[in-house]
Amino acid sequence: MALRLVLRVGRRISGVLATLLAASFVIFAAVYAAPGDPAVFLAGGRDKLTPERLAQVRAEYHLDEPLFVQYGRWLWDCVHLDLGRSFKYSDQVADLVAARFPTTLQLVLYATVLFVVLGVGAGVLAAVKRSTWVDSAVVGATTLAASVPSFVAAIALVSFFGVRLGWFPVTGSGSGFLDTVRHLTLPALSLALGALALVSRVTRQAMVDAAASDHVEAARASGVPERDIVRRHVLRNALGPIVTMCGLVMAGMLAGTVVVETAFGLSGIGSLLVGAINTHDFPVAQAVLLLMVTGYIVVTTLVDAVHPLLDPRVQGAAR
Amino acid sequence: MTTKRPKRPPRPGPRAVGAGCAALALLATAGCAGADTSALGGKPADAAKLKLSPTTPPARGQLDRADWLLEDEPDSLDLDTQGTSAGRVVLTNVCERLYQLQPDMSVKPFLAEKARTPDDRTLVLTVRDGVTFHDGSKLTAADVLWSLKRHADPDMEQADEFGNVKSMERTGPREITVRFKEPDALFTKALAGDAGIVWNPRRVRAAGQEFGTPGHGDACSGPYRLKSWKSGDSLSIEAYDGYWGKRPLTRRVDFRWASDSAFVNALKTGAADGAYAESPNTAAALRTTKGLKQYYGPSTASLALIPTARGGLKAPAVRRALSLALDREGIANSGYGGLVQPWASPVGAGSWGYEKEHFAAAQRKLTALAPVSPTADDLAEAKRLVKEAGAPDDPIVIGTDSSQGRTVVANATRAALQRIGLKAQIKTVPPAQFEEFYSDPGARADIDALVGDWYISKSDPMGFYDNGLSDSSNNWVGFKDATYDRLTRRALATLDDERRARITTDIQRRFVAAAVWIPVAQVPTALVLSDRLTGPPASQGYLYYPWAAELGPRKAG
Repeated sequence: MALRLVLRVGRRISGVLATLLAASFVIFAAVYAAPGDPAVFLAGGRDKLTPERLAQVRAEYHLDEPLFVQYGRWLWDCVHLDLGRSFKYSDQVADLVAARFPTTLQLVLYATVLFVVLGVGAGVLAAVKRSTWVDSAVVGATTLAASVPSFVAAIALVSFFGVRLGWFPVTGSGSGFLDTVRHLTLPALSLALGALALVSRVTRQAMVDAAASDHVEAARASGVPERDIVRRHVLRNALGPIVTMCGLVMAGMLAGTVVVETAFGLSGIGSLLVGAINTHDFPVAQAVLLLMVTGYIVVTTLVDAVHPLLDPRVQGAAR
Repeated sequence: MTTKRPKRPPRPGPRAVGAGCAALALLATAGCAGADTSALGGKPADAAKLKLSPTTPPARGQLDRADWLLEDEPDSLDLDTQGTSAGRVVLTNVCERLYQLQPDMSVKPFLAEKARTPDDRTLVLTVRDGVTFHDGSKLTAADVLWSLKRHADPDMEQADEFGNVKSMERTGPREITVRFKEPDALFTKALAGDAGIVWNPRRVRAAGQEFGTPGHGDACSGPYRLKSWKSGDSLSIEAYDGYWGKRPLTRRVDFRWASDSAFVNALKTGAADGAYAESPNTAAALRTTKGLKQYYGPSTASLALIPTARGGLKAPAVRRALSLALDREGIANSGYGGLVQPWASPVGAGSWGYEKEHFAAAQRKLTALAPVSPTADDLAEAKRLVKEAGAPDDPIVIGTDSSQGRTVVANATRAALQRIGLKAQIKTVPPAQFEEFYSDPGARADIDALVGDWYISKSDPMGFYDNGLSDSSNNWVGFKDATYDRLTRRALATLDDERRARITTDIQRRFVAAAVWIPVAQVPTALVLSDRLTGPPASQGYLYYPWAAELGPRKAG
């Protein structure tokens, strides 16, 4: 039993590592193939763009070597926990990412709280009031919210609540708990709006399916109050798909904060990535993309691990 | 992008002028606050009536703290390795240079309190006494020499300023002697820029590779010391109590940064007290905001069409014709909210650091070759020139990125070419690729003219006109003129300002007549400031002058 557990955990970890290795190469190749020449940004100014200077810069940063050699060099350093230095900032990549990651993480967590509370709440409401005007209103409203791209939502929210009414700050991420919450409310809301439809729809469907099961019918027949049935039987059986979906949406958000960060002047890893791609800052782009992939894998792995605990039916199948 | 990149100054630096929307433009064509002034209720200015002034009214009193906004986080505060304008705006309050660029763009000795030129190949600098670095150590001639040698290192940003230097040595307790292979008229101008920063060698060496990165102190002697820099969040400077000169009016400045619409919103809501707007479109979006004032000052920056050797604009007559037919006023008003000015030379008025009258008079004469908006006579002359030279068979291809200002310039250029009977088309590339037109002759092989911008860091037009030398890598069209080359070398070696100004305007006339570049507009500096505050310079001098020291309240009390 214990051996089987060790094997299973070992298999999981090696799978994650293999995924990361493959992802790191794909990312490296993609950044390498992106149009534009990093040497131009490294040479320092348009009046210095002589062929000799560019050649010198390429040699200095090993940009003139083949893709595989460059990737090998990066991987070797990476294994030694050295992510290199940013071309643009001359600072350690690890320092740059460490300074910005908390902002993005707080933003995603806040957005997750919002879409879980609002999305699951709306879904439960729609399922309980199935086929009434409430149900249609929830579906209509969430679909509308989902159809607004997050940058449009961001700009609209900023100009109304930030600029016009002055209720919320328009840039920066704040310091201290309350201040951070105030700064991140609008960005988290813009990020969460798009997820509402999906989460509420999945919640509603899962609840409807669970409500149709035999033991719920049996509970009803034995006179258990409706509120207890919904809470104890229906919602509990529906938790599996709901948690999975929320996990997937949250994992996707880690890589989706770019636009919202830009609109709100937040220095997170999203805006760091945009800047890095535009200036061909290889080491930074590579590290940030890899961090996003890692975040996605970690969250989905956790969801996988939690799933059997929520749904006894899955437990037997997990091998 | 996001351009912000498109993106950086002097040495060409700034991000391309007007590239402010890139980040969002990637994702959407709408929604960039910096782009569409009318959507924000802003009334465009009238380029013809724009008044430039190098200064703002003096402040009356002290200020405890100001919030300042940058368009980007500084890359690094080691301007020898990464010279970007965001870093310079901060550091010019913290670090000092051997010479100082004044708000009126003139240059005067500063940390070098005196300079002698025993002959025109020798410069003797006397280092100011009584100056201390922020760690309390005394600034010595040895420190000055160490700093100059660091700037001159071939790997450093400013190395090219030392091309004519034969030797630099300490020749007395407070004396540095620089000897030149050739007389160099621009060297002292360069010493008012980043080539003249005096570092504290002990601090620079102690920080090693981390020098200039967040979390490390500064190594300078200016009125402010670097208090903190939290990567990705904010940067603060505070008055240095042991400063040798005048006490700064503002005790502390906190810098934050934002781009595009976030930049505009931070100023609109009062989250920031002021900013130097790098893009005229950003300033245009804020023109009518209550509680904010704007000041426009002379800068060296300009917009220009840069022809290439591909062939369509090979004939000088065709280039001249295009220059005559271009509606510069239309571009200024519809592309840049009236905050750039039609201009007939490739460098802005901020480059006139001496002999201003002479340069201004020469500039007025050039308008005949590059009119504000073409008259019927201009168009007739342009058509005649095209007929004489013969129209190229292929359409003339105009290279641009998708930023609002450049798009307008590209369309106006196409309209001008069509008006004089030439075929034209526009080639748009992503902002990240745009900069390659400047560096890669291969990228330029597909275009006949680039919608470009340029600025120089020195307040001397000769800092620009070497771009017209036969062997310059910025002379893309293959302009070759022995007289031009000879005059340029002579001007660069003429130390007397008045004589150099006369040669320079001759060179300028030849450059514009041959339309080596086709000037479009000059791009003034725009200072956006809370109406409670005043004091800092409004000219390009803000990049090299301790502007925060003069920031203060408008009303006493």
